[in-house]
Amino acid sequence: MKSKKMLGLIIAIVVFAIPVLSYAQETRLGGEFWGRYTNETAKYKDASGEYVNKMHKNYFALDRGYLDFRTKFSETTSARFTVDIFSTDASHEYEKYKDVYTNAQGSVDTLFSEPTKSSVDGAGLKLKYAYVDFANLIPIPDMILSAGLQKVYFGSIYDWTYNLIGKAMSDEYKVADSADYGVTLNGFIPHGLGEYAFGIYNGEGYKKFGSTLKENMDFSYLGNIRITPIAGITIGGSYMQKTLEREESLKEDKVNYKYQEQTSIDGIARLAYGPVDVWAEYIQKDVVYPNKKADEKLFVDYKASGFSIFPTISLYQFIGYDVQLLGRYDSWEDRDSKEKWEEKNTLPDNPDHGNVYWKKEKYINDYKLNAITYGVNYNFLHDESFVPKMQVQLNYTTKKYDAEDPAEGLKNEYTDGNKDSSTLMLQLKWRFSSTIK
Amino acid sequence: MKNLLVILAIVLIALPVFAQKGNQLTCSGSTTVLPIAQAAAEAFMEKYPEVNISVRGGGSGVGVAALQNGTVDVALSSRPMKSKEISACKSKGINPVAYAVANDGIAIVVHKNNKLSNITVAQIRDIYTGKIKNWNQVGGANMPIVIISRDVASGTFEVFNEKALKGAKVDGGAQMLASNNSIVTTVGTTPGAIGYVGLGYVTDQVNIVPVESVVPSEATVKNKSYKLARQLYMYTNGKAKGNASRYISFLQSAEGQKIVKSQGFITLD
Repeated sequence: MKSKKMLGLIIAIVVFAIPVLSYAQETRLGGEFWGRYTNETAKYKDASGEYVNKMHKNYFALDRGYLDFRTKFSETTSARFTVDIFSTDASHEYEKYKDVYTNAQGSVDTLFSEPTKSSVDGAGLKLKYAYVDFANLIPIPDMILSAGLQKVYFGSIYDWTYNLIGKAMSDEYKVADSADYGVTLNGFIPHGLGEYAFGIYNGEGYKKFGSTLKENMDFSYLGNIRITPIAGITIGGSYMQKTLEREESLKEDKVNYKYQEQTSIDGIARLAYGPVDVWAEYIQKDVVYPNKKADEKLFVDYKASGFSIFPTISLYQFIGYDVQLLGRYDSWEDRDSKEKWEEKNTLPDNPDHGNVYWKKEKYINDYKLNAITYGVNYNFLHDESFVPKMQVQLNYTTKKYDAEDPAEGLKNEYTDGNKDSSTLMLQLKWRFSSTIK
Repeated sequence: MKNLLVILAIVLIALPVFAQKGNQLTCSGSTTVLPIAQAAAEAFMEKYPEVNISVRGGGSGVGVAALQNGTVDVALSSRPMKSKEISACKSKGINPVAYAVANDGIAIVVHKNNKLSNITVAQIRDIYTGKIKNWNQVGGANMPIVIISRDVASGTFEVFNEKALKGAKVDGGAQMLASNNSIVTTVGTTPGAIGYVGLGYVTDQVNIVPVESVVPSEATVKNKSYKLARQLYMYTNGKAKGNASRYISFLQSAEGQKIVKSQGFITLD
């Protein structure tokens, strides 16, 4: 399987590269690779049934790799093609999110293939970006029309630089995908006052296309704006609305209880002054199942919200080495509520009452995550513009899950895979880029 | 919450700590502006020996990116900054302020033996996009045209692309070179070649071809009758202060503008 995928990658690159190289004004080949050591302890039951800390991850991995082709056909038309190589991400995502997906979006097994769940290949490949930018189709200065598999301009996810090893907030908590198939209008406000993007996407992310998409006829709609009124202060917001599944099933026109409407909003603020750079982000995601609500026998909704603060201090101007101190605090609350009602016939002691509904099950899965990360970066090789080419990152993250209201029948957070944990990660990240022509 | 307070405390403690920069001034960017910046730096350091100015090339894009990353005091650029670059700078707390330091015309240069007396902007575009392949199609000798261009990261290329090519793609057979000097050298040694450089780089090795019957000169660049006229810039983070202010003011002064002229470029006045 692995060799087939590698062959696929090579073919894809060759097929893409040959026409590009023969026509392009300039082609840049780039890439970056993240070699990582991870050590994690988390809460597990011991023989007496008590939760105790146990080391459950201790490994080296090529956690991520990207091969990136960017080509400029002319000053107004350019394209990008990026392959995402990963050795660990898939199986961990499965373990981490299987309950979240199961609770909120149906069976997780529809989202992960068997090989992905077990990661037997050692490494996997995904197509991350494949889009073309047209700067001349719309007569508005600095506006670009982008078509294809491209960035999702939501919150901080589209310009997240992984200065900390962890993912952007909307990626980490599965609010938005980092890339998706679609069409966007994006650009910059004159005089450096900010940027904007409006787009339509499939809405299910870059990992799914064609037959792997759910039975869904609607697109995802997104708007994003960032304003920098004065240098160093940026505020912005994103709004995304989408549906998953069809309102009525495709085959029998039956009401589809899986149909859901999702609304996500994001607000960001950034303060950059001298060596200090602080990001703050707030996200809220609401998922509503209108067909289940209409039925009145089964009510399910899903709400999640949280905020993150991410400060960075650069020590370069103090010590002459490109060292950064970083921190990140996340607070994330996830509420997945289900109330299931069962129709019951006339009560024996009250024959005139007619049919009534009895509450059969009330289920609330509610948790609050507090995560904090301390990090140090040492960028020891740079290009001529001082962009880091080789970077050592050390991160230490603690995650703690709080139950809000155990009396409401809260599921034990540990059974959801949401384990209190401490993770140490040491990562060597290296990048290269070269202009071929 | 306790941990959050620790992080905030670290930020607040670090906030007022700023290193004192000595008398070191770093400049990098456009290879077109480079000779002006270097000559001005030498004259400035002679006048103010306590100040040490280092000047490097790399291209306008490199200089702008270095300013954005906070690693240079002055970015040299042969084109105005783009909205994307300004936005990226501002979001990182860098407020780029432009100072024009010289005028320039992008000269169309050909081999010394090429006696072409005029070329239009449309002909330049057709040559660089590969539609015109022989000099006899524009009134010259029967000789294949060899296209020489700056690489696409160059500010000179971007201005040339905007003003002459109108965004069109350079023909795939063009030689894309990394500096003005290499353009002049290559054109000077290749009989069928055409290239373009800042006026300060023109030497006896090559001939300048008038564009739309206008020769690039002090008068035609200043009154903008020369179609490929432009300004050259230095960018600082915020209004220039300290040594950067003194250096740029020196370059804009009558004394500095003499240096601009001596380097073959055109003064601001």
